[in-house]
Amino acid sequence: MHGWCERKPPEWSTYLSKLVKVTAHSNQQYEGWVFTVDPVSASMVLVTLPEGDRAHVRVVLGHAVESVEVLQEENKGNTLRLASLFLAHGAEALSP
Amino acid sequence: SPRFIALCPTSIPSSAGEGACIEEEQRSRSELRERFLRTLIKMSNKPVNFDMYEGVQVRAKFGASDIDVLNFQVSELQTPIGVQKEALLRCHDMISFSFDV
Repeated sequence: MHGWCERKPPEWSTYLSKLVKVTAHSNQQYEGWVFTVDPVSASMVLVTLPEGDRAHVRVVLGHAVESVEVLQEENKGNTLRLASLFLAHGAEALSP
Repeated sequence: SPRFIALCPTSIPSSAGEGACIEEEQRSRSELRERFLRTLIKMSNKPVNFDMYEGVQVRAKFGASDIDVLNFQVSELQTPIGVQKEALLRCHDMISFSFDV
């Protein structure tokens, strides 16, 4: 996608916790729930949640992102699960 | 350093506009960045698969990233021609990387 790296944080935020399909360099495609988009490198963190406690995390570098398609809107269960994967037990949120 | 000046803009580009707009942008930026840093913390000392350009795939134990996500320090880098004990990977050579949590 032309200009993915030049987007602003509020635009990246609209993808948070949604299921997306990302097409990257040489037509490689990745699917996953968006945990975040790094505002420095525009890299997307995608999480797939198979059954059980395991999760698979894929980070697509911002410079390789060609297009992003939303497949499914966020749902509360997955949003909480994503947050709990990365927040250590007892860790406090740093944001005000 | 000269490298930092060459590779990183000294100010973060942001929308010019009303205070409220900038405030919202900064709030989004800090939330997104915090989540990304937590991802990197989660990845440290884990085996990670890197998909590089030209179809090259390598596996290594992730150590650290620099602040601007330009280089990763990794250990036990498994390449097609052998294992490199310590290495720096340039992020511009990567398409994606993945790991299990």
